[in-house]
Amino acid sequence: MSGEYLAFLGLALVAIAGGVLMLNVTKVMHMFVALVFTFISIAGLYVLLSAEFVAAVQVLIYSGAITIIMLFGIMLTRHQDEEKEGAKSAWRKWLTALAVFAFGAVVYRGIYHLDFGGQATHLHEKNTEQIGVALYSKYMIPFEITSVILLVALVGAIVLAKKEDEEVGS
Amino acid sequence: MSWDTLLQYKWGVMTPEFVILGVATVLSLIDLLMPNDKDRRPLGWFALAGVIVALVSLIGLLSVDRTSILNDTFRLDAFGKAFKFLLLVGASLVLLLSMDYKPKENMKYYGEFYYLFLTALLGAMIMTSSGDLITLFVGLELLSISSYILAGLRKAHRLSNESAMKYVINGGISTAITLFGMSYVFGFAGSTNLKKIAIQLSALQDSSQQYVLALAFLIMFVGLSFKLASAPFHMWAPDVYQGAPTPVTAFLSVVSKTAGFVIVLRLFITLFASVPSQGKEPSSMLLSMQDYIAFLAGATMIIGNTIALKQRNVKRLFAYSSIAHAGYLLVGFAVMSWVMIDSMWFYLAAYLLMNLGAFAILQVITDQSGSEDISQFAGLYRRQPLLAVLMGIFVLSLAGIPGTAGFIGKVHIFIGAFATEPAHYVLASIMIATTVVSYVYYFGLFTQMFFRPVAAHESVKVPLGVMLVVAICALGTIILGIAPSLAYNFLDQFQHFSDFLR
Repeated sequence: MSGEYLAFLGLALVAIAGGVLMLNVTKVMHMFVALVFTFISIAGLYVLLSAEFVAAVQVLIYSGAITIIMLFGIMLTRHQDEEKEGAKSAWRKWLTALAVFAFGAVVYRGIYHLDFGGQATHLHEKNTEQIGVALYSKYMIPFEITSVILLVALVGAIVLAKKEDEEVGS
Repeated sequence: MSWDTLLQYKWGVMTPEFVILGVATVLSLIDLLMPNDKDRRPLGWFALAGVIVALVSLIGLLSVDRTSILNDTFRLDAFGKAFKFLLLVGASLVLLLSMDYKPKENMKYYGEFYYLFLTALLGAMIMTSSGDLITLFVGLELLSISSYILAGLRKAHRLSNESAMKYVINGGISTAITLFGMSYVFGFAGSTNLKKIAIQLSALQDSSQQYVLALAFLIMFVGLSFKLASAPFHMWAPDVYQGAPTPVTAFLSVVSKTAGFVIVLRLFITLFASVPSQGKEPSSMLLSMQDYIAFLAGATMIIGNTIALKQRNVKRLFAYSSIAHAGYLLVGFAVMSWVMIDSMWFYLAAYLLMNLGAFAILQVITDQSGSEDISQFAGLYRRQPLLAVLMGIFVLSLAGIPGTAGFIGKVHIFIGAFATEPAHYVLASIMIATTVVSYVYYFGLFTQMFFRPVAAHESVKVPLGVMLVVAICALGTIILGIAPSLAYNFLDQFQHFSDFLR
């Protein structure tokens, strides 16, 4: 058992535990802490895969920006911690669980014996530079369209969140 | 990459996209600088002009050979041209509709309305003409995110808020699922270029690898089925269609759906047609997955048509009817005859005309009465005979009565089901049976309009834009119904999309 394997086990465990915890705790703040655990351990997994740039981005954007923005969103809006038990029938719950486990089993069967041949050895060489070069040469069109997506998201967020002040004024 | 190498590409083939992008940007700036109390409707005409310019430039590009820019991240081929044509025509009609949209509560922010339509259209256009997983995905997201916002633009309307929320959550999940499937494909091929992936995958012989690849196929198909609103992933459609502003509903049911089928065709045919798989002859993973797609098509037709029977709300009724139509289209995909793309193109064109026409009239009626109940259509023939007759044409076409475009479209898909070896009798019979079921609710609408006492006595005022849309759609529906060869002559120049895989 190599150190890499141990690190993978630890990180994967924390990532999954964070996800499960997030679904099960009721307080919003607790949810965020659980979510941050997941995000950071996923960043650790990226490091294991020699994707340091993606790992850094993951920490910056997901654990940093997105979590903070969501916190702001929660703090600036009204929210009561209402606990409403949905009238979900028991058989529906079981059926969902069954479907989840069936899907898990099917995927597990597929990937357990999967053999990709040898391992890649050149992953760590100048990988940030390679991402940059690919992004600004080969993938320029999707890169530009992504900026349009960001514009749309920005406009949309403002339009949907803006208060209609005219009604108050008149 | 230096500037000179960049300039070597033929950027001219992207003119329609550039026009739409430019108009959207300029519109957003104008909207920003315009005084707040000014009416935003003129912006709509500007947007419409932009779409028409894009359409003209696309027609100018029709004769251009297959062109690829930057490793296929953008490619203009016959498939892209044909479907972009549909998208642009659909979007221009929807824009015409949206300018006369006047719901009961005062709806503001009209400026955003127009340029979000344009960005959504841009996303859909990118989806039609790309040979790269990343570009396809980015286009899909641009379309989806713009649509989420559009659905929620009636901010004072509770249902609209609900619909936007439902749409964003369902859409987000489906996007994640699609991306997960794509990541498997990328993992096997190590490339995002569709052609390179196809070459890599066709060398796959190991059965456990094929198993995982088949899994990826199904995951991707499930994710994209959300976008097509096919059963059992259709749950979001009725709520979103009901809550969203009517032009947005029209956009979702026509342009968005077309884009969904475009990406399905592009992805699955290119990637999986030549992947070996065990069991079936000729060995192709696409063919061995046929049964699953066929099952989905059958379920979609049955569920869409039977639930539509119970609907009283017209927008919900049309939502279920659009689910049913997605089912018919999936039949075209599932049987995989050699005329598949042609027949689906024709059906989408017919569907565009008849559905947009119906939505135009629906918008007038629901705006004026403030109610979306089917009883508002009662006695429309007495109030406004011309409108009732035109609506009758659209309903007949949706039902698939001979003499209309809807009939021809259905017949071609139907023939496709028999043109393959072995023929798909079960699927074809489900299609017939559900079409008959659909007569019940389509003719329910018909009897409301022609044989029921009048619901309200004030005359129906039809704005110019809506009249134009209705006229174009009715003309198109009838012309394509009587002389379908016109559309097929148009398609002939593409030679059955033979450059699709090259």
